[in-house]
Amino acid sequence: MSFRVRLSVFLLAILFLVQGLTWALVYHATRRASIDEGERQLVRAANTFVTQMDNVSTRIAGSVQVLSLDYPLRAAIAQRDAQTIWSALRNHGRRVGAERMLLLDLEGQVRIDTAHPPGTGEAHTPAFLPPGMLRQVYKKPVVAVVAIEQRAYWLVVVPVYAPQPIALIAAGIPIDSALLQRLAALPKSVELVASERHGPWHRVARGDPSLDIIGALQRQHLDLPREPRLMRLHGHEYVVLARSLMQSTGGMSVAALFGYSLDDALDPFRSMTSTWAALVALGLVLGAIGAWLLARGVARPLETLTEASVRIRAGDYSIAVDKALARRNDEFGRLGQAFLQMSEAISEREQRVRHQADHDALSGLFNRPAAQRRIQAMLDHPRHDRPAALLMIGLSRLDDIVNTLGHASADRMLQAAAARLHQAADGALIARAGDDRLLLWLDNCSGDQAMARASALCERLNQPLQDGQLRLDPGAIVGVSLWPEHGNDAGLLIQRSEVALYQAARIEQPVTLYDQAIDPNRPEHLELMSELNKALDGNDLVLHYQPKLALARSQISAAEGLLRWPHPIRGNIPPDRFIPLAEKTGHVRRLTRWVLTAGIAEARRWQQAGHNCRLSLNLSARDIEDRELPRRVRELLAAHHLGGEALSLEVTESAAMRQPERAIEVMRELVDLGIDIAIDDFGVGHSSLAYLRRLPARELKIDQSFVRGLADNADDRTIVRSIIELGHRLGFSVTAEGVEDRQALDFLAAAGCDMGQGYFIGRPMPPSAFAALLAGANERSRDDG
Amino acid sequence: MARTTTLAVLALCLLGAAIARAGALQFHVTDQRGQPVRDAVVYVDPLPGTDVATIERTSQTRYIDQRNEQFIPYLTLLRPGDRVVFRNSDTTHHHVYSFAPELSFEFMLRPGAVSTPLTVTAPGIIAAGCNIHDRMITYLVVTTARWAGKTDSQGRWTLPEVPLGRFRVRVWHPLLIPGQPAPSREIEVSDAKGPRQVTFTLKLPPEPHPGNPLEPNGY
Repeated sequence: MSFRVRLSVFLLAILFLVQGLTWALVYHATRRASIDEGERQLVRAANTFVTQMDNVSTRIAGSVQVLSLDYPLRAAIAQRDAQTIWSALRNHGRRVGAERMLLLDLEGQVRIDTAHPPGTGEAHTPAFLPPGMLRQVYKKPVVAVVAIEQRAYWLVVVPVYAPQPIALIAAGIPIDSALLQRLAALPKSVELVASERHGPWHRVARGDPSLDIIGALQRQHLDLPREPRLMRLHGHEYVVLARSLMQSTGGMSVAALFGYSLDDALDPFRSMTSTWAALVALGLVLGAIGAWLLARGVARPLETLTEASVRIRAGDYSIAVDKALARRNDEFGRLGQAFLQMSEAISEREQRVRHQADHDALSGLFNRPAAQRRIQAMLDHPRHDRPAALLMIGLSRLDDIVNTLGHASADRMLQAAAARLHQAADGALIARAGDDRLLLWLDNCSGDQAMARASALCERLNQPLQDGQLRLDPGAIVGVSLWPEHGNDAGLLIQRSEVALYQAARIEQPVTLYDQAIDPNRPEHLELMSELNKALDGNDLVLHYQPKLALARSQISAAEGLLRWPHPIRGNIPPDRFIPLAEKTGHVRRLTRWVLTAGIAEARRWQQAGHNCRLSLNLSARDIEDRELPRRVRELLAAHHLGGEALSLEVTESAAMRQPERAIEVMRELVDLGIDIAIDDFGVGHSSLAYLRRLPARELKIDQSFVRGLADNADDRTIVRSIIELGHRLGFSVTAEGVEDRQALDFLAAAGCDMGQGYFIGRPMPPSAFAALLAGANERSRDDG
Repeated sequence: MARTTTLAVLALCLLGAAIARAGALQFHVTDQRGQPVRDAVVYVDPLPGTDVATIERTSQTRYIDQRNEQFIPYLTLLRPGDRVVFRNSDTTHHHVYSFAPELSFEFMLRPGAVSTPLTVTAPGIIAAGCNIHDRMITYLVVTTARWAGKTDSQGRWTLPEVPLGRFRVRVWHPLLIPGQPAPSREIEVSDAKGPRQVTFTLKLPPEPHPGNPLEPNGY
């Protein structure tokens, strides 16, 4: 549920709840107040009623008493003059408002009854006065509710003295609706009920014809409520109260029931309710609108900010936030401002990052990729047609300074050089192209101009720099490459200027122009490597074998396998062309595998032919560091059914020195297979005798540079003799490479050298030729005995 | 004065009867609270089997005075043939009346006036009152009982001499609740030794003025 909807619903719910609660509270309070008021009114009404009844009966009693003293009436009573008595009583009854007057004897028997005219025989009205009352009447007038001929009467009884009591006069007010009408100030809903001798109550009179309180009470099996009680009559709520008007012993009881209609009392409230409901509805509508607007007021800024952050994420820092939002003076305004500031900060940081991505932190110049891009952009420009030059400036002394004075000094030197370059560049593109080199791009500049500028720059940069107490010499040299001669691609131009720089360093010429001839990196190298792969796939390579002579016996006992590549187009490609390349580019493993496979297969053929010739193959540094090599060799040997003793592997000292421990491990494993290890090119590498001691090699091969000049060079002879002595003492067999004349051979034989190898003994030859040689040699040896 | 006369007459009678082996009877009347009742009338009649000498009586004239809005005496015992005269010694007029069937009369008496004598002929109880003053009432008790007397302020009346025998004794008082029968008893006088006590208890309503009914007022 969206925020807007939630807020609106919440506000409306609150409004509704509050209003509803308020209404309920007011209703209940009003109702309670109405009930309380009703109760009060009822009590008042009851009291009033009783008081009025009392007043009426008092009045009647008083007048009847006066009547009872009337002498002629007394005389008439004493003389039993029924006619006189009847008419006097009736007359008096009218006066006082007692509808029925009776004359009773002292036993309570009715003698005269105004309801029954005399002369119609004796009055047949039965006695109705209880005996108790007959006795009390002499103390004071008796006021009682009695039933005379099934009608209820409010009766006042007074004795007649003449002069002793001779009779009783009773004045009766019927208790009926007429009585209720005579009594003023009564609530409309009043009922008079009577019961005889505690029997059920029945109604005798009521003020409101539609009301039936006693009926309802009886239906609900309730007693007359002596205290105000709330109850339902005809579906409406009433407060009902009963008051006994007369409780006579053993006679009739009369009670008045008063009802107070709550509905009537709550009527004004009801009309208010409809107004209230209308107000609530209006309030809800307004509240809904207000809530919606408020939510919008909250949600809108949030939405704006959300959109803005989405844009910022995409890198768009344009007017991120509606300025109007930021100008507001409330929380949203502050949020908007903060957001603006944040996006500005992000934008700034991004720019800084971009700057850092393109620039070198130390010098503040472009970095290499940035420079390359810019140069390329310039070259790509369609209208770029003037020659240009790229100057790669190397600070050759920087490394030394780092090692002797530390990075701080070196950094300062670089910064100073960069500053000088910046001054000299005169607006041209400059960059820091590497740890110790700077770059200058001269657009619209000929080769000669470029060289001249380079020289001038060198002069300038080579002015000594002052760093604290010291004067430092940067040793600036420059390599130059030209466009369009040296390439069309910015990357290539940079690369070639670096080649020129390396050359400059090597030949110690401060300013050097790129020369393709001396560039070891050529595009054709890539070609060569792919052709090598093809050759390997197509088995175009071939292994030639150069015989090794055992000098003591003058016997060919071994051969070295040398890789040859008869290229169809280029002709024979010498191994030193492609093997180093293969080593540098990681192709050497495949090469080694091929060599091993081919060599072992050939050695097997020699064995099968009955020749006892050990094969030597060359390993590169990578091979000797390869832990998998012994396993592969073992598998190959097994596959070709060749024993390890038929194989020997040669590795140069330098190659074995790169990772000594690993090389030794691998060698040991190879030795375990029965293979001999030979140290190749001994004497010209990083010869470490201490290391030599640890190698599990069997053979030392003296480098050919010592062996070639044996005939002429006494030093060489000394060296060779020493190596042979040393090797023997250390347990090696010694082989001399590069035997090119008889003298050398003789010398070596005399010196005790074990094996010899060279053009004089035999050139590397194809397998068929070598096989023939072996066969011939074996014949000769057999012949020789 | 009438009472004294009556007493004298009775005393004589009793004396006469005393000769014939008489006993005395002392009557004591109290109400239910134990208070002595005055103006209670005691009737004594011999039961069959008891010989009592008859006596001759001459008719008497009784005077009933009206003083301070009161009839004095409250109760008068009479025999048929006696005469009653009302005298007004009060300062106000009195309208004396009676509706008794035995004797109905009414007359207005000026202060100081005397009524004509009224003769009672039949036994009965005649109540007479004053129309002007509701509280005034007097009873004329006309009796033919052999002996009759009324109690004094102590509630006592003594019959000095009765012959031996059995007698019926009745007691009446004006305040006895109307309709209730007067208490009656049979007694026997068996020997002449000492007076015999006869006690009656009457249930009477309380009255602030002995001899006067309560004034009916208001409630």
